Amino acid sequence: MRPSFFHHLHPPTIPAKQSRWRYTLGAGGTAVFLMLVLGATGILELFYYVPTPDQAAQSIQTISYLVPFGGLVRNIHFWAAQLLLIVAAVHLVRVVFTGSYAPPRRFNYLLGLALFVFAILLDFTGYILRWDEGIQWALVVGTNLIKTIPLIGNAFYVVLTGGTQPGLPTLIRFYAWHIFGLALIVIILGVWHAFRVRRDGGIAVPPPPLRVDKERITRNELVRREVLAMLLTGAALILFAAFVPAPIAQPISDITIMAGDARAPWFFLWVQQMLKWGDPFILGVLVPLIVLAVLALIPYIFPKPADGELGKWFPRSNRLAQIVLAVIALLVIILTIFGSLPAS
Amino acid sequence: MKRFIALGSAILLLAVVAAWWTNSRQPKPIVLIPTLTGKPEYCLTCHSDLREISPSHPVKTFGCVICHGGEPLALDANLAHSTMRGGANPSDLSVVQESCGGSNCHSGSAADNNDHIQRVMTSVQSTYAGAIANILYTFGVEPDLTARFGIHAVTDDVITTTTGLPALQVFDPTKQTNPSVLKFAANCLNCHINAQPLPGSQFDRLTGCAACHTPDVESFPKGQIHELTTAIPYTQCNTCHNRGNYDLRTMTFVQRTDQPLPTDRLHNYYQPIAQFTKCEYTLDCIDCHTRTEAMGDGDIHSNMKQIQYIQCQTCHGTPTQLPQTKTLTDPNDIAFRLAQLNPVVDLKLGDTILVTSKGEPLWNTRVLPDGTYQLVGKATGQVFTFKPVMGSGCTQNGIDQSSAYCHTCHSVQR
Amino acid sequence: MSDLTRRDFLKLTTTALLTISGALGVGALFRFLDFQTEPPVKTEFDLGPAVNYPIGSRSLVPDVPALLIHNQNGFSALSLVCTHLGCTVEQKDSGFECPCHGSRYDANGKVLRGPAQKALRALRVEVNSTGNLILHTD
Repeated sequence: MRPSFFHHLHPPTIPAKQSRWRYTLGAGGTAVFLMLVLGATGILELFYYVPTPDQAAQSIQTISYLVPFGGLVRNIHFWAAQLLLIVAAVHLVRVVFTGSYAPPRRFNYLLGLALFVFAILLDFTGYILRWDEGIQWALVVGTNLIKTIPLIGNAFYVVLTGGTQPGLPTLIRFYAWHIFGLALIVIILGVWHAFRVRRDGGIAVPPPPLRVDKERITRNELVRREVLAMLLTGAALILFAAFVPAPIAQPISDITIMAGDARAPWFFLWVQQMLKWGDPFILGVLVPLIVLAVLALIPYIFPKPADGELGKWFPRSNRLAQIVLAVIALLVIILTIFGSLPAS
Repeated sequence: MKRFIALGSAILLLAVVAAWWTNSRQPKPIVLIPTLTGKPEYCLTCHSDLREISPSHPVKTFGCVICHGGEPLALDANLAHSTMRGGANPSDLSVVQESCGGSNCHSGSAADNNDHIQRVMTSVQSTYAGAIANILYTFGVEPDLTARFGIHAVTDDVITTTTGLPALQVFDPTKQTNPSVLKFAANCLNCHINAQPLPGSQFDRLTGCAACHTPDVESFPKGQIHELTTAIPYTQCNTCHNRGNYDLRTMTFVQRTDQPLPTDRLHNYYQPIAQFTKCEYTLDCIDCHTRTEAMGDGDIHSNMKQIQYIQCQTCHGTPTQLPQTKTLTDPNDIAFRLAQLNPVVDLKLGDTILVTSKGEPLWNTRVLPDGTYQLVGKATGQVFTFKPVMGSGCTQNGIDQSSAYCHTCHSVQR
Repeated sequence: MSDLTRRDFLKLTTTALLTISGALGVGALFRFLDFQTEPPVKTEFDLGPAVNYPIGSRSLVPDVPALLIHNQNGFSALSLVCTHLGCTVEQKDSGFECPCHGSRYDANGKVLRGPAQKALRALRVEVNSTGNLILHTD
């Protein structure tokens, strides 16, 4: 059989051991699939979404309740977006816990991290597009956080929101970023990321002399596994979306009157929890940036994983990086749990 | 592996079928595009069984949202109802301006006779000014009975009567020190159409316009009545005016104890010392009492006496004078509008009806050719005929013509 | 079952299942797009009391657009939408001319000159219970 376009995207053969679910967790591939789903459902949503403050929430009601299968489309888009963040996080954890970021993959690790950040931004901008009381606090608090940055805060706020308070220019900007700016960046970074996987020699394995297990699978087999993963993820998404609706709330009647749920979207709950402790700039901007910086520096400052230990979980040689990431992940999870508890 | 893919395809198909199934189970949206707003609303998807609220507010013209608010496009009950005005009662005075107001609706001009909201907001029924003023005077807080405070602050730019006041401040109990006034504030501020009724089904009533215009509140669970009417039976007035008495010594409300209520109207009315003539317990309240008495005349008054003016003589005249009448010559006379809203009589141009001393038409009356009068019950459609005092054997002094004097001879034994 | 037929069978099943899923998906997509958020255009126009249009009058109703004619035979109305490509025709001489492509019609809407092939559409007019003229465009 002549390889098709989709087969050509893959190397002819890949190591059998490292292509197993239990090694890759299928996270990177699932993330790509989710992005395709998000693109497709997002395009469908564009047909009905109206990006103006007085009509946005109503147009979402139209999609959710009136358009046949509109609720399904929106729910798939929503749940795929939430799942994407989880899958991306799992992918990051897998890469660090297997030491796969070792040179020459250091740069691709940064690309992946950037993709993660842009996925979060996409999720946040998409969340804001609802423009209902469910997102009002996140919008006001999230953008006010920008103002706390010394010197450039106020100017940066205008750059982001297009005004002195959230309004039509803000919604238009978030809309443009969401459907075009950020999406384009993610496509470019995503293609680059995938290209670099091939360029850096495919999945990380020990160099040939150190390789014990020489068994390999063909790309046909790999594509089949991917197809299976897509079928199952797609089915799970459709089923979940058919029965669990995405959140919705009443339209914002007045942006200056804070109403509705004061909780941040779940992926920012850890930041919101820290904000309860004090200075918004340090805890809301600086600390998350430091966390990001530490993650970015993992391949550069910690002991390099040994060549012979590549391609398996928890190599002894990069224990320190694993511990650092585990601590960060644990803290974020704990803060998220505290943040999601009802205020006492 | 190919087996798994076949299985995966089957699972995907299952999910797609499930999605179609849930989609088919959703209620089919029923759209309504009211001619007034031209904007689609989907309330009827669930509420198609609701009766038309009144002939003046057909749903095809008004829709639901113009009065009730809410989310017209949401098919989720919680979201759809989340922004409704006044909950189930958009006529609550806190939202009445948005719900019922508008220059073409019920907050127009006095000249067009559609200033209902302005009148109700200034009326003693909603300001409760009389009771507050009385208590403040009685306990020495204010020097006279002139009202200074209301349940809500209100101003009036156009004063048309001698007793009209320019403004009332909001009555703030925290600024009072007299213990009786404080007790009054704690126990007695629930007796106006702004207030939620007292707990207990015997006190069931609605607030705002619906307090009077949404009838039959007792026979429905709260909020389930979708009706507005001007044919208001006495039972509707009784939801406030026949529930018990205030005890001024203890400054508490003493609810009537004669449960179950007597069914004949003579004994159903609670006030033990009240005196009645026959028409006072056979007619409905609104058969005699006019719209300005009930809803106010647009002025802020100090008490009920300044607005209530219908007496026996309004219809019956005095030994020396016939009651005032008017022949309807203007097709735009307000009498026709009132009769059209509650068509118990077929009022025609040229008909002669009784009018009050302030010139309000008693549109449900008519002067008969033989010099007697006819009244049609506004809520019952019942026809009554009655005679003027003039020419009868009444020996009443010509200057003592208020109802209290008539009761001396004409009240019935209870 | 031989190995070969088993493989063919699996492939066929997979293809069939995916084809059905795809067809259902396309069906859902069609229904998703087949929804109108805007109310349909008006097809009923209240022209006010019929007495405002005396016998012999020819009145332009620009909103429709149409020409209301009242003659011995009663009320009738002519759509002013050119039957060629939908431009609004103008009254010219005793007939109508389309400014877009020059179609010409006589006073009764009959085609005098192409490119239009069909006569201007006659619209239904009725007097309702309150004496108002109602013009129907459907």
